[in-house]
Amino acid sequence: MSAIIEIRDYSWQYLNTENPALNGINLDIYEGEFVGIIGPNGAGKTTLALSLDGLIPGQYHGVKQGTVKVMGKEVEAYPRGELQRQVGVVFSDPEAQFTAMTVEDELVFGLENLGLSIPEIRERLEWVTELTALKSLLPKPPYEISGGQKQRVALAAVLAMMPKIMVLDEPTSMLDPVSRKRIFEVLGRLKREQNNTVIVIEHSLENLIPLADRMILLSEGQVALQGPTRTFFQQIALLLEKGIYPPEAMQFFYRLVQRQWYNGDLPLTLDEAAERLEHVLMPRHSTYQGS
Amino acid sequence: MNKTMLGYVPKESPIYAVHPFVKLYFLLIVSLFPMFVAAPEWNFLLLVIILGLMVISRVDIRIVRIYIPVAISMGSIILISYTILGGRHPEFQVVFNLFGLPIYWERIRDALVVYFRILPMIATMVFFLSTSRERDIIVAMRTIRLPFVVTYVFAMALRAAGMVLEDFQIVRQAEQARGFDTTGKPLTYKIRKYIMYMIPLFALSLRRSEEFTNALVARGYAFTGEASRVKRADYILTHYTFKPHDFVFTAIITLAFIALLVARYGFNYFGLDDSWFIRWLYSVLV
Amino acid sequence: MGVIHIVILALLIGIGFVVGAFGSISFPLGFGVNFFWTGIAVQQVGGIWFGGWGVLAGAIFPFFSNAIAGTPFYVSLGYVPANAVQAFLPAWAFRRFKADPRLKSGRDYLILFLSMLVANAFGALWSPLVVLRGFGLLTTESLPLFVWGWFGGNMIAGIVFNFILLKALSPVVIRTPAFVKRWWA
Repeated sequence: MSAIIEIRDYSWQYLNTENPALNGINLDIYEGEFVGIIGPNGAGKTTLALSLDGLIPGQYHGVKQGTVKVMGKEVEAYPRGELQRQVGVVFSDPEAQFTAMTVEDELVFGLENLGLSIPEIRERLEWVTELTALKSLLPKPPYEISGGQKQRVALAAVLAMMPKIMVLDEPTSMLDPVSRKRIFEVLGRLKREQNNTVIVIEHSLENLIPLADRMILLSEGQVALQGPTRTFFQQIALLLEKGIYPPEAMQFFYRLVQRQWYNGDLPLTLDEAAERLEHVLMPRHSTYQGS
Repeated sequence: MNKTMLGYVPKESPIYAVHPFVKLYFLLIVSLFPMFVAAPEWNFLLLVIILGLMVISRVDIRIVRIYIPVAISMGSIILISYTILGGRHPEFQVVFNLFGLPIYWERIRDALVVYFRILPMIATMVFFLSTSRERDIIVAMRTIRLPFVVTYVFAMALRAAGMVLEDFQIVRQAEQARGFDTTGKPLTYKIRKYIMYMIPLFALSLRRSEEFTNALVARGYAFTGEASRVKRADYILTHYTFKPHDFVFTAIITLAFIALLVARYGFNYFGLDDSWFIRWLYSVLV
Repeated sequence: MGVIHIVILALLIGIGFVVGAFGSISFPLGFGVNFFWTGIAVQQVGGIWFGGWGVLAGAIFPFFSNAIAGTPFYVSLGYVPANAVQAFLPAWAFRRFKADPRLKSGRDYLILFLSMLVANAFGALWSPLVVLRGFGLLTTESLPLFVWGWFGGNMIAGIVFNFILLKALSPVVIRTPAFVKRWWA
């Protein structure tokens, strides 16, 4: 299986900074994969997202080393505007992504840029508004809707362009828990119904873990850890050391492991945790009489 | 209610049946009318018609109140400019003397002529702003086939203005939270206030320029190169059709303008000599 | 020349629209002439930093800020050349005489001051003489008030803002891809 994104010995240093934001990155991401990227602030996550869409080096001053290939082609080799047809990016601040006066204008902007015909635009608009539940908001100015709705608009605007690869840079960092859940529901549908490659940079691990096929930990501009989601989180000690706090259920089981009360895999979700806890408690429960 | 650039207009307003281009055309052409009309009563009639159109369009007429100070200040400036600062002209008729300064009939008349020209021009602008949404202007510009980049810059500028206003509120609250209050303070203090607002406002806007650019590039927008030459469909325009009544309105505006020019320069109408208002005022003052 | 410059153009029009309207409403002399016009900072600093894009924005935004402040459409249109020159001259002087936007030397300050002086003088002469007189809004005798009003309003606001903005933000701006060294890129 060939990688849709190939990153080799990639380093990027912004102009007038002392250290590279990314330093000797090697990564392969495969078609249809759902990849979660985590890391503390300043680890280089956003720089990586911008590099995948060609915004780096296109829109920033700095020094690049190594290669970032998307679909077998170096990002700089794509003609202007071409790479963005393949890679869509959703940024963390939805407010900063809107340049139009209504939600509808915002959604069709990218489609017009692609040179689609009116019927094609209409069709995609219907599809994406249904997927993201935005139909009722179409005539509204994007800055007058709630934070969660804004981020869904930003997501929909990119989705409508049907890129092969979607990169979401902390898409829920400014949202309340309910809005966060709704964004991940959309991503879940996307994973089930489309065969997109999705890369999500996120701090909200509870929502990310159930969807991610693979996780990558970035730290100080380098890949500190990567692997299939379940294997990845078994390295919880390293994650904690790097300032990553996995879901509390997972941390709870890690403490049980430390106390040698549990020796299985760490559960990834709350449901798994409940199930395993039942197994842990069951023998004791049967003998527990209370006071 | 729908938000317009200057207030709110009910969703049931008949103005929404009018194509945005017609509104822009009205602004551009009707704003010219007063320049060809000297007789104040005709310009006053135009003012009444525009206010009437605002009422028909169900614009909250209270919006006009914002412009009353503007109208008063302009009126005062014109009057002072023409009378007190109008110089000495022995050939003119003196109406009265103000602290030894002669106030001439011709100067009062000219001030009124100018003032009644300005009022409908302001009203046309207010009518346009209070009945148009930002999108209407974009649609009007696209209807006349202005290049996409022009209409898009305009849309972004409107969006940026909204963001600057929001930023301004944030910066102001932040300054106030740190005890920076201008209430009852002298002018120098207020000027200092502006400086303290301007630097963060500029800094925030610079940051936004980076974010905006990333958003545009990420959506495949290119200003130069192959991607910029893509033939763009204009989806937004599919929501707006130029209906028979829009043709009628456009024709009425055009014909009214032509008729005005013919009447003014062909038959010398709308001049001061025909003005009953000026004759009446003359009989009262002189 | 790239997308960022289109964005800068739009943002400057947006900032100028708000800041200019604020000045027009707060300190009016009439017909968009103000005795302290904050918009001048966007016009002149924008031109120095962003070259042609700043000049373009400086010529366009007063049209909108005046409109919202109640200046008739065609009067605002008549001001466009004055506003364009006000934005252009300091930008041109900085490029022609290789002045540093960070105002590193006395020479840089002098170039800024002199270019502001000439630019604002042109604006002050153009608008009251050509536009306001042309529209018959003023008498010849009252022109000096408006000429001095326009000049003073722009000059004072320019002195207050331009120096501080350039000194405080130029070091940041020149590091961004938005900074325009020549005219368009």
